[in-house]
Amino acid sequence: MLENDTSKERYIELNMGPQHPSTHGVLRLKLLLDGETVKKVEPVIGYLHRNAEKICELDFYCDALIYFDRMDYVGAMNMEVGYLEAAEKLLNIEPPERVLWIRTIMAELNRIASHLVWAGAFGLDLGMLTPFFYVFEQREKVLDLFTEICGSRQETNYMSIGGVYQDFNDKIIYKIKEFTKHFPKTLEEVYNLFVKNDVFISRTKNIGILEPEVALDYGVTGPMLRASGVPYDVRKAEPYLVYDKLNFDIPISKRKDVLARFIVRFEEMRQSVKIINQAIDKIPDGPYFNPKAKKSLMVRLRGEGDVYARTESTKGEFGVYMVGDGSVKPYRVHVRSPSFKNLSVLPYLSRDVLIADMVAISGSIDLVFGEVDR
Amino acid sequence: MNLLLRIADILSILGHYPSFILAYIIETLIVIIFAVVVIAGMVFFFRKYMARVQMRLGPNRVGKGGVLQVMADGLKLIQKESILPEGRDDLAYKIAPILIFFGLIMGFIFIPYGPLAWFGYLTVSHSDVSLIIIFALLAIMPIGEVLSGISSNNKYAVLGALRGVAKDISFEVPMMLSILAVVMMASVKVSDPLNINGVVVAQSIPFAILEPLGFFIFLISMAARASYSPFDMGESDSELVTGNTTEYSGLRFGLFYLGLFGTIFLGSMLISTIYLGGYYGPFTNYLGFIWLLIKTLVLVVISLTIWLSMPRVRIDKFVNFGWKYLLPLSFINLIITGIIIFGGIA
Repeated sequence: MLENDTSKERYIELNMGPQHPSTHGVLRLKLLLDGETVKKVEPVIGYLHRNAEKICELDFYCDALIYFDRMDYVGAMNMEVGYLEAAEKLLNIEPPERVLWIRTIMAELNRIASHLVWAGAFGLDLGMLTPFFYVFEQREKVLDLFTEICGSRQETNYMSIGGVYQDFNDKIIYKIKEFTKHFPKTLEEVYNLFVKNDVFISRTKNIGILEPEVALDYGVTGPMLRASGVPYDVRKAEPYLVYDKLNFDIPISKRKDVLARFIVRFEEMRQSVKIINQAIDKIPDGPYFNPKAKKSLMVRLRGEGDVYARTESTKGEFGVYMVGDGSVKPYRVHVRSPSFKNLSVLPYLSRDVLIADMVAISGSIDLVFGEVDR
Repeated sequence: MNLLLRIADILSILGHYPSFILAYIIETLIVIIFAVVVIAGMVFFFRKYMARVQMRLGPNRVGKGGVLQVMADGLKLIQKESILPEGRDDLAYKIAPILIFFGLIMGFIFIPYGPLAWFGYLTVSHSDVSLIIIFALLAIMPIGEVLSGISSNNKYAVLGALRGVAKDISFEVPMMLSILAVVMMASVKVSDPLNINGVVVAQSIPFAILEPLGFFIFLISMAARASYSPFDMGESDSELVTGNTTEYSGLRFGLFYLGLFGTIFLGSMLISTIYLGGYYGPFTNYLGFIWLLIKTLVLVVISLTIWLSMPRVRIDKFVNFGWKYLLPLSFINLIITGIIIFGGIA
């Protein structure tokens, strides 16, 4: 891009990250700057690589779940759903009806928590201190629910092959209902804190415009793609769990900019509340695990063949490809992680923008590095 | 009665001149101690207020309600090792925080604090051009900002300093023009309009009412001078790590930090002195100083609320705003003031 330019002194080379307050996690960006203008961005990844896919091959099917928890550590429930969609297909184990509903509720609660974290971090990127604490208070309420249900806050390890770790009781259902009753009001408050601020609008409007064609070329999915006006959501396109029995909308925006991604994520949280409200009323009675996969039999599960399952995680389309060779351990596990694909569009988006805009754009992608590096 | 004369009176055994010199020194010390106490108080108040806004508790362990936290933090910063970056410009690096703090503290000396009960008027400087001097002193602070940026051999610091300079030059001209309008207005009523005390005396009606446009420009300028959140381009927290202060640690960082809060307080004090009638209010002769404090504190709370709820303005947009809107507006303000004076309305 700059090969023809002989006067290299004109440009500043700046290393943003991996330890930098506004690159989320351990993203490293090599920037070439002309004054304040970003001429070239080169994301460098791999600082959080933990070899999760390979480790999955060394473990029983039921044990690999915890590595998925630690991929997208902000949206661990959705990671578990993604893994189990593939594993249960491979192992031929049907979870009971009640489990599907429970998993749906947990995944949507987790989607709310994940988007809240994103909103807070995005505010910090733009120099807004206060909304961070407002959203984290709400997120803490979701995590309290998780603690009540699964015993841990973030890396929950709640679901297991053919079931869940613990059944819902009346107290939990009451608490979830309480949360969904009070949450929308606070959500609107936080939403207004952002969008009624002219400075926030001026920082996000018409910044980082992503055309739908480009987005599809780069393989961008999730809220990023929907903010560009493409109504693609795995929950509707290829329903898993019980999403086909629930009534909800896929929010899209025609704005295509950073502001659109913000609006779409907040609308998604509203839709998640809608989903939880429906699901918690319809949740059927029944067992909470498949007896074929009870604890004593779990390590003896064998799978053969290959499967690919895709789910809509909080960041986008999360795909898991698994090959089994008939033994108790998977032969190969591969993950299509949405953050990784979404990150690849950052150099395209931040051509000839200011540093401040580049930070806003990279913030709007919603990167979680556990998932990018795996 | 003036506080200076009172002190000189008490010290009169020493002779005429020595007593006056000593009285000046004592009065200056009083003001400097006031400034330091007020800045420390500001830090504590800010942390408590911020915690309140953000639904947290804030400092609450050291001392009753956390009041000693500021002292503990100060001691921590003093005894900390100051890590010096390699390849720095040593003199500029070391002088930058001192310049900022010096400009700030000197600024406090030229404020007319007004009368307080028995103590009488507290005004250290009786210069006829104190209004000019105080803005000259405030103009020292950007030099510190630039020096800190270019001397610390860090790209983030340079970028922060560049932003800081771009910001400073785009609001200083409108700020001085709005002050010029104030001087014109004051010159109708008093013989020494360049004396900041004269500006206060001239405000039988606060200038904020007579010159709302100038008041608005000056409010924005003071916010940009203190460089808190919508205008913290020099620092650009998290985007450029911490901008020009990136490489500073220990006591030197502490000076930058205190400088920020001190400037908010000094700026609020200047706004209330120049536009809101300073120490004027009911029972001025007894409570003047209290009135000044009340006005200042209200402005401080407003400033902190803005700080906590605003994202950072992008630097090019602020430069645009400064040159395209603030500057023409300040000229319009000047013309309107001229018309008012010429027509003899005020």
